[in-house]
Amino acid sequence: MMPPAFEYYAPTGVDEVIDLLEKYGDDAKILAGGQSLIPLLKSRITAIPYLISLSGIKDLSYITESSNATRIGAMTVDSDLEYSDTIRKRYPILMDALGKLADPLVRNMGTVGGNISHGDPSNDLPAVMLALKATFVARGRGGNRNIKARDFFLDTFTTALEHDEVLTEISIPVWKEHSGGSYVKFEKGTWNFSVAGSAVQLRLENGAVVEAGIAITSMGPKAMYIPEAEDYLLGKKFHKSVISEAADIVVEKSQPSPDTYGSVEYKKNILKRITMEALENAFRRSGGVK
Amino acid sequence: MDLSEKMVTGRGNFVDDINLPGMLHLAFVRSPYPRARIKGITGGITSRDIDMKMASVGEGASAGFEYLEHPVLAKEYVGYVGQPVAAVYSENAYEAEDLVDTVDVDYEPLTAIVDPEKALSADPMYPGLKSNILADRYLGEDFQVDAPVVIEDHFVNHRIATDPIEPRGIVAAYDGKRLTVWISTQSVHTIKQGFCQVMNLSPDAVRVIQTDTGGAFGLKGGFYPEYVVAAWLAMKEGRPVKWIETRSEHLLASRPGRGVVGRMKLYANREGRILGIKGDVIVDSGAFAGGSGEFSSRFIAMQITGPYEINNAHIHALSVLTNKVPQGPYRGAGRPEAAFFMERMVDKLADELHMDPVDVRMINATREPFKSPTGLTVEASKPFLEQAVKAMDYQGHRKKGNFGFGWFVLVPATMPGETARILVEDRGIKVWLGGTAHGQRHDLFVKSILADELGVDPEIVEWQKGDTDQLKEGVGAWGSRSAMMGGSALVEAARKLREQVEKKYGKYSVSKLLDGKWDSYEYFHYDKPYTSLGANLITVSTDRYGRVRVDECISYYDLGKVLNMDNATGQNAGGCAEGIGQTLYEGLMFDDNGQMITSSIADAGVVKATMVPRYRLILHRSESTLPSKAKGLGEAPTIGTPVALSRAIEVATGLRITETPINPEYLISAVQEP
Ligand SMILES: Cc1cc2nc3c(=O)[nH]c(=O)nc-3n(C[C@H](O)[C@H](O)[C@H](O)COP(=O)(O)OP(=O)(O)OC[C@H]3O[C@@H](n4cnc5c(N)ncnc54)[C@H](O)[C@@H]3O)c2cc1C
Repeated sequence: MMPPAFEYYAPTGVDEVIDLLEKYGDDAKILAGGQSLIPLLKSRITAIPYLISLSGIKDLSYITESSNATRIGAMTVDSDLEYSDTIRKRYPILMDALGKLADPLVRNMGTVGGNISHGDPSNDLPAVMLALKATFVARGRGGNRNIKARDFFLDTFTTALEHDEVLTEISIPVWKEHSGGSYVKFEKGTWNFSVAGSAVQLRLENGAVVEAGIAITSMGPKAMYIPEAEDYLLGKKFHKSVISEAADIVVEKSQPSPDTYGSVEYKKNILKRITMEALENAFRRSGGVK
Repeated sequence: MDLSEKMVTGRGNFVDDINLPGMLHLAFVRSPYPRARIKGITGGITSRDIDMKMASVGEGASAGFEYLEHPVLAKEYVGYVGQPVAAVYSENAYEAEDLVDTVDVDYEPLTAIVDPEKALSADPMYPGLKSNILADRYLGEDFQVDAPVVIEDHFVNHRIATDPIEPRGIVAAYDGKRLTVWISTQSVHTIKQGFCQVMNLSPDAVRVIQTDTGGAFGLKGGFYPEYVVAAWLAMKEGRPVKWIETRSEHLLASRPGRGVVGRMKLYANREGRILGIKGDVIVDSGAFAGGSGEFSSRFIAMQITGPYEINNAHIHALSVLTNKVPQGPYRGAGRPEAAFFMERMVDKLADELHMDPVDVRMINATREPFKSPTGLTVEASKPFLEQAVKAMDYQGHRKKGNFGFGWFVLVPATMPGETARILVEDRGIKVWLGGTAHGQRHDLFVKSILADELGVDPEIVEWQKGDTDQLKEGVGAWGSRSAMMGGSALVEAARKLREQVEKKYGKYSVSKLLDGKWDSYEYFHYDKPYTSLGANLITVSTDRYGRVRVDECISYYDLGKVLNMDNATGQNAGGCAEGIGQTLYEGLMFDDNGQMITSSIADAGVVKATMVPRYRLILHRSESTLPSKAKGLGEAPTIGTPVALSRAIEVATGLRITETPINPEYLISAVQEP
């Protein structure tokens, strides 16, 4: 439980981070809150000779709101979001996720950028960002580039970020009136991580769905959004049979694997239940349940 | 500062806080295979350097068969994943861990024996053995009864990591004449005995000092190979050596508890009277003798009849070798298993006869002191049950819903007694007990006893950690024994002290005591069991995912005289939490090849603060005849909680519970389709 030797850099600007990433290539990695990376190093699952910390960069931690988006700096820690009025007012779905994300100690250290960049299919924020249709800003040698959340997660621990790119910002669109979302997570025994998590964001007009975002956690090689279920919901009003059918589509598209925490069948059973719960909450929060 | 406050604010002095000049750090190369022949090793300290075998000391100690004794470092074969094969060291702990990779071990993997029931008939693990059965004994006599009701069941309590917050650790130093070790332990004396036996050292040449100990739960009463290697290296290099266990090593290679299978057959009449019990108790002992596995099958079988008057019992007690780390004592150590098997059978009998479970218990409780055919002695249990049912409002709960009740006999590890020393000096009082506290706050009851016996201000009484130079003999803190045995030794030592003062001055007074310098040592010998009764009532709720939430855990225990109420409520709360852990979450699981699949503390299932219920401890005070007047407590909640909780879940879900931890996948089968 002691990491192999590494060199530690804490530059004060993103450009220096990029310089170091280019210089050391695959031997270097960004360190944010360390809550995923340090355990991997301590258990010697991985060895990284050069760690480039983002903690010295001052302007990567912020939450700013405009009329059509909320911008979050990549180094903003989870607990800053948890206690942000903006987040609480605009994104109940994110509050659901934060309240059950790890524990307060981890949330005080772990960053939003790290949670997303890690590409862990068990992390909670990727599914929430997929449901909210967020956009990420990556900075590389050539400047900034926007990557849609839906194009970001490629495979387990693999994202659309290039090796020498830094995720600097998460931009979440403002969902207009009559919208609401929910994240329901079923934890593994005494773990924080989930058997399954389900994120649902809806916008209604006259009680019927006009826009939907649905994504799931721990149910495949990566966080997955389910366009078939989103399409199915368009034009539908809240009804038990509607949420049940939508949840069936989600289950059908999921790809869980069996482990100590349950068989495929069990995990799908859980996914069905939590997806129905998330759908019902989302309808209620958007004013669609009479 | 209060001891608890000190511990939780980082001001304790744990073994890892000790840093001596020139200190070396030790790390271990461990077997990745559950069973393999070793064809060669290059690098590191190996059995060529330390060709020693482990002795069996501490709770449940037994003499092993020679060829089954655990080698300090593996020689020709390894029997479990995590078994120490070689050791490396460096001046820096990080580098020591790097060096682990420099040792090359050539293994020839063999097919592992994993399942304890299959192991009974599998080919023997070691050449020269006839079978994998390590201990085989029948308790009670075979019988035949004409019983209209016969109930059978199969139970499993999976293995559980002891998981103290502070894992094992040691610092060893040698000055050319004497070995001094600082250690996280339940007994400095068993550790000393271990060094003397394994390394063939004379008792004068070993001093063992206890550091602040952050939990132990049975694990740290034992003596382990890593300690020998640390001492050996300290003696060889003439430099202090530190070894601190990592959590991963703990989960893999520290002796876990439970790991017991029960196959029970209960005979009864239609009125609910139990006519007899037969069955097998099978303990998954692991790959070597000398753990508690060898002896615990007998201990469990002895307790099977519980608080009941059962005149026929015939139990086959088996301990079987498997390719896992040897089993060790974990809080309860055989007691919870016995209660689980019996209480689950009684509930099943009640269901079969459509009777109230407490009515069945009442019918079978004994009015008189009773000695069961398996050798368990119980006091009259019926009056206790009547009072328990009333005090816990059993009838009220019956109207409300999901709850379970269970009761048990607690058999504390009284034998062979315990020691205590009181030193009065410079107007202060220091106390050592032979069993060293490792989180239970013995300091609290030590103060209470001396305030009572000597009339002194508790503030001036200082409980001391274990040190073999300060207390010449001692047993250990385990088996619910400290208030009974340590407490009694202290009472006797205090009385002796009083007599000394009286003898010198004609009359005892606190000021005379404190003016002088006095030293009083007592070995309170005790060689009989001293059992007591306890009961638990637990309420639960379940959700639409089949998840169980424990709402309230009520304990009704006969604690005799309560020496200190904070001690009692603390022991009760911690033990209930562990009982909940065992029932719902905690288990070390293995795949078919013998690899552990629960390799993190979260996978191993330790309960979180958010999962614990309200606790209520109701006292049944009937003083013991011991000098301290106390009865046992420490293990009681780990015995009563799994039985009461399993029943509560059975009532809530309609599912029969026979296994711990209960599989969530099984629980969800009770909830309606969404
Ligand atoms: C006990 C425990 C429980 C946990 N439970 C949960 C849980 O329930 N749900 C959950 O979602 N998470 C959980 N986590 C993980 C936690 O949320 C981590 O904080 C998160 O996964 C990573 O964020 P970090 O800031 O700590 O990143 P780090 O660990 O520092 O980095 C993680 C990875 O992301 C890369 N990275 C980080 N920031 C950037 C960036 N700005 N640009 C490019 N690459 C970057 C790093 O190079 C690294 O590969 C848990 C962690 C622990 C220790």
